[in-house]
Amino acid sequence: MSNAEFDQALQTFFMESRELLEAMEESLLGLESSPDDDDAINAIFRAAHTIKGSGGLFGLDGIVSFTHVVENVLDRVRGGHVPVNGELIALLLSCRDHIGMLVEQIAADPSAQPDKELESVGSMLLAQLKSYQTGVTHPACAPVSTSSCTEILPQTGNTVENDLWHISLRFGQDVLRNGMDPLAFIRYLDNMGKIVHILTLPDAMPFALEMDPESCYLGFEIDFQGEGIDKAAIEGVFEFVREDCSLRILPPHSRIEAYTQLINELPENNIALGELLVNCGSLTRKELEQALHLQEVLRSGAGTGEASKLGDILVEQGVVQPELIDAALGKQKVARENKSQESKLIRIQADKLDQLINLVGEMVIAGAATSLIAQRTQDAALHEATSTLSRLVEEIRDSALQLRMVQIGETFSRFNRVVRDVSREIGKDIGLDILGAETELDKSVVEKIGDPLMHLVRNSMDHGIEAAEIRLQRGKPARGTLRLNAYHESGSIVVEVGDDGGGLNRARIFAKALEKGLVTANQVLSDQEVYGLIFEAGFSTAEAVTNLSGRGVGMDVVRRNIEALRGTVQIDSVEGTGTTVKIRLPLTLAIIDGFLMGVGNSSYVVPLDMVMECIELNEAERQETRDSNYINLRGTILPFIRLRDQFSVRGKPARHENIVVVQYAGLRAGLVVDELMGEFQTVIKPLGKLFANLKGIGGSTILGSGEVALILDVPTLIQRAISLESRVLN
Amino acid sequence: MAKTIMVVDDSASLRQVVSIALRGAGYDVLEGCDGRDALSKLTGQKVHLVISDVNMPNMDGITFVKNLKQLPAYKFTPVIMLTTESQEGKKQEGQAAGAKAWVVKPFQPAQMLAAVAKLVMP
Repeated sequence: MSNAEFDQALQTFFMESRELLEAMEESLLGLESSPDDDDAINAIFRAAHTIKGSGGLFGLDGIVSFTHVVENVLDRVRGGHVPVNGELIALLLSCRDHIGMLVEQIAADPSAQPDKELESVGSMLLAQLKSYQTGVTHPACAPVSTSSCTEILPQTGNTVENDLWHISLRFGQDVLRNGMDPLAFIRYLDNMGKIVHILTLPDAMPFALEMDPESCYLGFEIDFQGEGIDKAAIEGVFEFVREDCSLRILPPHSRIEAYTQLINELPENNIALGELLVNCGSLTRKELEQALHLQEVLRSGAGTGEASKLGDILVEQGVVQPELIDAALGKQKVARENKSQESKLIRIQADKLDQLINLVGEMVIAGAATSLIAQRTQDAALHEATSTLSRLVEEIRDSALQLRMVQIGETFSRFNRVVRDVSREIGKDIGLDILGAETELDKSVVEKIGDPLMHLVRNSMDHGIEAAEIRLQRGKPARGTLRLNAYHESGSIVVEVGDDGGGLNRARIFAKALEKGLVTANQVLSDQEVYGLIFEAGFSTAEAVTNLSGRGVGMDVVRRNIEALRGTVQIDSVEGTGTTVKIRLPLTLAIIDGFLMGVGNSSYVVPLDMVMECIELNEAERQETRDSNYINLRGTILPFIRLRDQFSVRGKPARHENIVVVQYAGLRAGLVVDELMGEFQTVIKPLGKLFANLKGIGGSTILGSGEVALILDVPTLIQRAISLESRVLN
Repeated sequence: MAKTIMVVDDSASLRQVVSIALRGAGYDVLEGCDGRDALSKLTGQKVHLVISDVNMPNMDGITFVKNLKQLPAYKFTPVIMLTTESQEGKKQEGQAAGAKAWVVKPFQPAQMLAAVAKLVMP
């Protein structure tokens, strides 16, 4: 096996182990609520079993030996010998973590020496597991017992002269029916050493009429020469037909008595068989005579030969081994009827997928260029063809992006364990509700959302949910509830972390922010703005501020992470009843449906999902709003922003202006533009470092004409429009 | 023509390593991720040997072998069962179902190749 192939297989093993360990954890947590769930127990057993089996294949002895004990205990759980209780689940969870660490350690550095700390954890766990074990661990015993038969032969008499092994082999009639090829074994034997002589014995062959072509009637007498071969090795060759054949093996220089016994026991005619042995060189004529003589003696004697029949002993050896597994094993049923995930899924390297998405992006741009040219030529047939093409490109784009969509459920279910462990650690009783697990979002987003979520969940548990006594005083159930929820909302995905805890105290936060110089005393802020302050970098809560202490720890990091994903974060809270943190993220970071607008010579794009409507700004309204930043839109105030002013676009204002009404996170604002150019497939290109901090611009894209259009950062612009409006109003 | 061996195990990495080893020794390899998947892939083509795990989701190895032996095309196909030392009972169940050969898990690729060579030459 080449190294590259082996490494690749090893990577598969790591990935597989991680998946199995995750499934194991999930099932273990499931057992807490339903300890009799056979499916869950089987799934846990299978995870350990598979990791052990595959680990052994890679020679990962550390993993194998530890997992072996875990598997052993699980097997007893499965057999009903060990009851499932909280203590066992906790121990098995720790074991699962330990296996995970062992796997990760090797994944990080395959040549690493065993870690001392890890080893001590391992031996501690093993000691704990011991009480659940049978008391006897099964050593990895060889499948065939290998005790030598030579001792049981009479110690007197002469030995034969040649130094060959002699093997007498009689295949059972069922050998062929069992799918075994007698010749394959003999060829295998020949590979181990050298078959000096072989005689085929057709004696058992019946008459043609009675013969069954599916039965095997042949026997073989073999003289075999092998360097450093022992009896067990030869027995090993025939291991799979042990129950289907009679096998007699005589070592080199065996005593003649052994041959006598052999001849005696074989079904063929004694004299004829003796002749054969002489013919094939196993015995000399003299030895044969001695043997036949001995046979007579034995027959007339007390029948000692009977007592130590070689065949009997051999057969016995093949059959032993007590039943170790309870009959309950037989009941093991595979209830889950869903077609196994694996056969439906293909693993693809993420970078291949990224490349595909990039190419699709380029194709979208090239397609736009083609459409543009087709429009200019005014050739109806060409126009038709390119519009079909662009429709197909759009479908390909959607399918390609769909490839990267994964359900958020997997990320969510990881928190089952976190909530369980943390609630034990801090001594609170907290349950987790998961909603919207099937909501899909881009894989690159899912990967980066884990850390911020972890922060928020921990904060809610540490500081949001009150201690049981306080909860009871406030008339709430003693068990606190944490809620993870995900859903789609106008082109973005919303992930919520909610708790039914104490909520945020507006006054305290404001005071704290004032003290830190984040706000001024006479500033008027909405509740959300106040809550948003806890995401400020300076909002440290090193000193305990009772019910919001710690709420600020690392919260600025949370916001930074989310903003890096072009997302926003918002807090809703009602004091005394709970807090919900809403994270709003774009569905994808690659290609979006955009809405193209023109101002002067520049083009701008906003995500189509955020556009609510477009209205014309008529001459009268233009005059009216000359000095203000809002209009009356069907009875409500709509703040707006003039993109011409915002981005200092040169040139005279156009004769007609339009307002594009955009919304985000429940807020609305208008963008005043010259021209509406309609829907546009937008491949998002990041801005260079130099422009990364520009307010109001989120990225760029390339138009069909080859020009660059800027993608607007709608949330920022809405905020700006609103703040401009309030300034004007004030 | 190279002889074909089907490897049935729910562990992708195990299948991968065993396949690499078998291909290296000159066999062709088919893979199945559980009993049901394997049966769906055995459509009458010649398979010289089947290697199957016992404990698998959807359809375990014993049921798989029982079903396999019902198919005329695979009635005489030898089966190597992958057992663990703690599954003596399973081994006997497997033998009763028609899997006469076995390899004890965990094993090294060389051990597997030796077992295979006893049954089919490449």
